[in-house]
Amino acid sequence: MAVKDKLKEELFPTIWCPGCGIGLIMTQLATVMDEIGLDERNTVIVTGIGCTGRMGAYMRFDSVYTLHGRTLPVAEAIKTVRPELNVIVVSGDGDTASIGGNHLLHSIRRNPNITVLCNNNEIYGLTGGQAGPTTPKGTNTVSSPAGTVASPVNLQGLVNTNPQAYYAKTTVYHQGQMRRAIKEAIDWPGFSFVDITSQCIENNGRRIGFPSANEMLMYFKKEYRQAPSAARHLEHHQLGIVKGSPEAAVPVAPTAGGDGHSAE
Amino acid sequence: MTKRLVQGNEAVLLGAVRAGATYFAGYPISPSSEILMQASAYAAAHPELRFLQAEDEIASANAIIGASLAGAKSFTATSGPGFSLMQEAIGYAHKVGVPCVFVDVQRVGPGTGMPTMPGQGDILQTRYGSSGDYTSIVFYPSTVGECFEYTIHAFNAAEESRSPVILLSDAFLGHLNEVVDLDTIEVPVVPRTLERLASGSTRLFSGVLTYEDGEPATADADEFIRQFEAARLAREEAARRYAFYEYGWNKEADTLVICFGITRRISAPLAPYFALFRPIRIWPVLQDELREVAGRYRQIIVIEGSEGQYASVVERVLYRDVQRVPLLGGRMSLEAVREGLDRIGLLPAELAAQSASPVG
Ligand SMILES: Cc1ncc(C[n+]2csc(CCOP(=O)(O)OP(=O)(O)O)c2C)c(N)n1
Ligand code: SF4
Ligand SMILES: [Mg+2]
Repeated sequence: MAVKDKLKEELFPTIWCPGCGIGLIMTQLATVMDEIGLDERNTVIVTGIGCTGRMGAYMRFDSVYTLHGRTLPVAEAIKTVRPELNVIVVSGDGDTASIGGNHLLHSIRRNPNITVLCNNNEIYGLTGGQAGPTTPKGTNTVSSPAGTVASPVNLQGLVNTNPQAYYAKTTVYHQGQMRRAIKEAIDWPGFSFVDITSQCIENNGRRIGFPSANEMLMYFKKEYRQAPSAARHLEHHQLGIVKGSPEAAVPVAPTAGGDGHSAE
Repeated sequence: MTKRLVQGNEAVLLGAVRAGATYFAGYPISPSSEILMQASAYAAAHPELRFLQAEDEIASANAIIGASLAGAKSFTATSGPGFSLMQEAIGYAHKVGVPCVFVDVQRVGPGTGMPTMPGQGDILQTRYGSSGDYTSIVFYPSTVGECFEYTIHAFNAAEESRSPVILLSDAFLGHLNEVVDLDTIEVPVVPRTLERLASGSTRLFSGVLTYEDGEPATADADEFIRQFEAARLAREEAARRYAFYEYGWNKEADTLVICFGITRRISAPLAPYFALFRPIRIWPVLQDELREVAGRYRQIIVIEGSEGQYASVVERVLYRDVQRVPLLGGRMSLEAVREGLDRIGLLPAELAAQSASPVG
């Protein structure tokens, strides 16, 4: 098998704009899938609506292109019915953290053994560049001409509220690290989330001052720093992995006569 | 099994199990919550039924879609406000062709409305609630035994039409207890029709209009019409095998009463004075049957728990005026039916005399 067998190359060129970061994620995902033997009989892809959501159409798998924001309930149900399958969600920041935010909150606490790859371009790409839930505060967008006023969702903090979950922060510039994170996340026996900063050159990058996608990649290279390896929490623009333990104790219901805190 | 007391909501759960359901997701809401609670209890004892109490109805609806694609017969149960939240997912299931069952135990809306009171205000929502054009299959039983029976039909029709099928109930019927032997109700079960995920194909299940190969067809009206017509024909064809209705009471009378679900039960004392047409398949509307039966009667009265949702459908199908007896605010009683008939001058004299004395 080869990486290109994971892709429906006959449908190329993709609909993504030249310089878009989504293809860089798809390439690394396909590489990992080839490496660890994921195929159309053991893996299902679930995507949401947005430019990112198109990825499923280009991959040689059964793929569910869900409604906007609804990847997680669909993916969790698939995993429940077919625990033997690898279920991989690929979705945008708006899909995952805004319209799908309530599902994210609850998927995290239910801890299904699924993997979420979030293409975090910090904007609503498909709909033309409106502010999204991860847009940095103060950003000028087509829906925030005077700069966004809210601070972005803290995805790492949110995911790691579950002591058994896996969170990785990476960027499309850091290809090797992204690949390792995707692989580790798929292997992780519980909820895993790979938060991938990437560029939407067309509907965000140029407006905020980047002449081309390359400048955006160079910005990721310069700005993002590795977090100390044992970090339990990532600072702004830090790359790294914060993983709990699949065996971590979680509070359990009180029982009459018990102390209510035992994990047994 | 033998005869025992069964509640309408319980009969729905047992019907789903009999139909082969292996996945339930739901969110608590009166008057449907017994289905969720009993599904949880059933699942605890029978792990082949997977159970999810989801974070909301949007999650429930999308979860049953995922479960169905994965290979499970799946269902959810809710009431008006939750059913509204499910509409986008119902449209998606129509577009993609996902067999699954939505149970709507109606209460009085709009909004949070009257949570524990019976209503029938979702008749049009079951047909037109999601955006765009699609063909709904909807059943509405009126006894506890029928709740069981038509739940099985709903699962069967979902498989045969590859679409989300809706089973309507109401607060009255859902909470009604009747003595029934469910084992005497036999409905053959239609097996799964959709090839489950990861069987070796590389399909794209897309809510976005695409060509067969997955390329977007989002600006191609011809492709839209081709897919729309194919879906419509498939669903109408499947629905034809489920053309359930009841025609009875006094067929010699000159006035036909149309009612369904709980209003059928409340109106039973009208039997000597009127003919009855009770649609069980609410959608697609039983056009031919209605036309044939209605043609024999001088007047038509629709008694329903809404301002006239089904009455407007009957008018459209028959091209003639029908009289309305709306039972609003949860006032589902023979007294309310009498008052309604009196208001339109169609209360039979004998019934008018009875209403002067206490109702038994
Ligand atoms: C219910 C609903 N609301 C709004 C939309 C319009 N919409 C489509 S994609 C999108 C945002 C996409 O942003 P993101 O998830 O970040 O994906 P990206 O395009 O950036 O990859 C919106 C608002 C929709 N399709 N459905
Ligand atoms: S609009 Fe942005 S996210 Fe969408 S394809 Fe173009 S560059 Fe990529
Ligand atoms: Mg985005």
